[in-house]
Amino acid sequence: MHSVRVVARRELAQYFTSPIAYLVAFAVLVLTGWQFNVDLAQRVGSQPPDGAAVLGSFAFFTLFFAPLLTMRLLAEEAREGTLELLLTAPVRDGDIVLGKFLGAWLYYTLILGLTLVYQAIWLAITTARAYALTPELDLGPVITAYLGIWLFGGATLALGLLFSALTENQVIAGFLTMSVLFILWLGDYAGSVVQSRALAQAIRELSLQAHYATSFLVGVIRFEDAVFFIGVITAALFVATRVLESRRWR
Amino acid sequence: MIDVDRLTKRYGRFIALDSISFRADSGEIVGFLGPNGAGKTTTMRVLTGYMPPTEGTARIAGFDVLTDSLAVRERVGYLPETVRLYREMTVRGYLKFMGQLRGVDRLGARLDEVLDLVGLRERARRLVSSLSKGMQQRLGLAQAILHDPPVLILDEPTIGLDPHQVQELRALIRELGRTRTVLLSTHILTEAEQICDRVIIIDRGRIVAEDTPANLREGLARSSRLYVRVGVARDDVAGLLASVPGVTGVGPAADGFLLTSAPQAGDVRPAVASAIVGQGWPLLELRPWATTLEEIFLELTARLDAPVSDDGEARHA
Repeated sequence: MHSVRVVARRELAQYFTSPIAYLVAFAVLVLTGWQFNVDLAQRVGSQPPDGAAVLGSFAFFTLFFAPLLTMRLLAEEAREGTLELLLTAPVRDGDIVLGKFLGAWLYYTLILGLTLVYQAIWLAITTARAYALTPELDLGPVITAYLGIWLFGGATLALGLLFSALTENQVIAGFLTMSVLFILWLGDYAGSVVQSRALAQAIRELSLQAHYATSFLVGVIRFEDAVFFIGVITAALFVATRVLESRRWR
Repeated sequence: MIDVDRLTKRYGRFIALDSISFRADSGEIVGFLGPNGAGKTTTMRVLTGYMPPTEGTARIAGFDVLTDSLAVRERVGYLPETVRLYREMTVRGYLKFMGQLRGVDRLGARLDEVLDLVGLRERARRLVSSLSKGMQQRLGLAQAILHDPPVLILDEPTIGLDPHQVQELRALIRELGRTRTVLLSTHILTEAEQICDRVIIIDRGRIVAEDTPANLREGLARSSRLYVRVGVARDDVAGLLASVPGVTGVGPAADGFLLTSAPQAGDVRPAVASAIVGQGWPLLELRPWATTLEEIFLELTARLDAPVSDDGEARHA
């Protein structure tokens, strides 16, 4: 566990030395800020505040920026050759994979934390000004939405790490991750293209959106959704570890 | 400390290591000598737990590289052939990371110590990417000795260093080798002569010779080679020299000839001298041909199939 922490800390620190991480944080704040502003303008005075609204688009943005965060994790080390010293250090391959994943997830959590500013704005508006038509912010769905998006992000990052383990080319790793995330996202709409209801349902069960948009985002914590995300994370990290181990046998 | 037994490594059908065996004890500096692609790096990568062997076993301090990989990796300091470090980290930050990974005690003090040892103390806060190749090499070495390992595996440690640093590093390796086992690869022969207690010459995945540098030299010197310079330029000089009893080969060398003689023939110098003088030719020079490790190396790793090989490098050798 000690080495997991060391690896995770280095990865997290690495994000702060690379421009990509700042650009991602910047882009996410601009996009969610704009989205929040539109939502706010529409709601004030007519609809109850919805703190989770901004997280609906955050999930979509994640499809774009998660690959940017994960693509270099292992691909860069393999290409640069730094992997040789890492793999000859007394550290289990699984610890390296887990550490790198946790570093990325921690950074994701920090970016996610930036969006708490919108919740603070909601709270400030609804408690200080007390519009007659605007009830106070319902914190329940906000909390579940954050829990959901956090798990959702973990799953996308774990998949990204897996693709980063598979290739030495960062661009390919990023592109493959993004493609797969999109397919998993669009799986939610399987019903409109697949005739068989059972098949559509099966595809939908595998999609990322189905386990988030209709449950966590609207204030429902379903056991199966949490299991789905944790399962994706576990499976992806397991396969990534095997892939890393297989490097030794090539 | 290092115990390699019939180690074989195949990449697909290509045999990189063909059943090599050797030992290296504590306090011993063993040099791995061989042309490019001979299997030096492969051996080192197996010993450091980077890749598993196809067959055979390798043990370090009694731990098998395959089944006790972590225990082996704890006890080995490794400097890879091309030192690749995290470029965006600071010198000290990088060493700290490696030290933490290896769980080094009293890391702060140890970092200062090692940085002093490799002469990077004043660059501790600089980024790795700003270091010259030689400095990165030294940082790589710092990383290898950080946890004070009993076994050091150094893949071409002096490459990319200036002559000054090379001397310093060799002295450092000799110093480190006093209490540790050091396995280093090189293709600089004087380096092997200078710092190694024992030399293993490896070629195309096989060990072709293994001895102290002095013994290797002597071994070849025993098949006594003589350098002869004769004061006339005649075509029949070579023929005459070849006809001297005991001489098994005549070849051109510098301005004269290089004679090889069978070991059992004893000293052939009197016979050679009298043969030349008997013809009335002036004998300018007759002396034993000092064998360098370089020659031994070339001889042992000679490419017999060189003319038919399509590998340009082989033909040069």
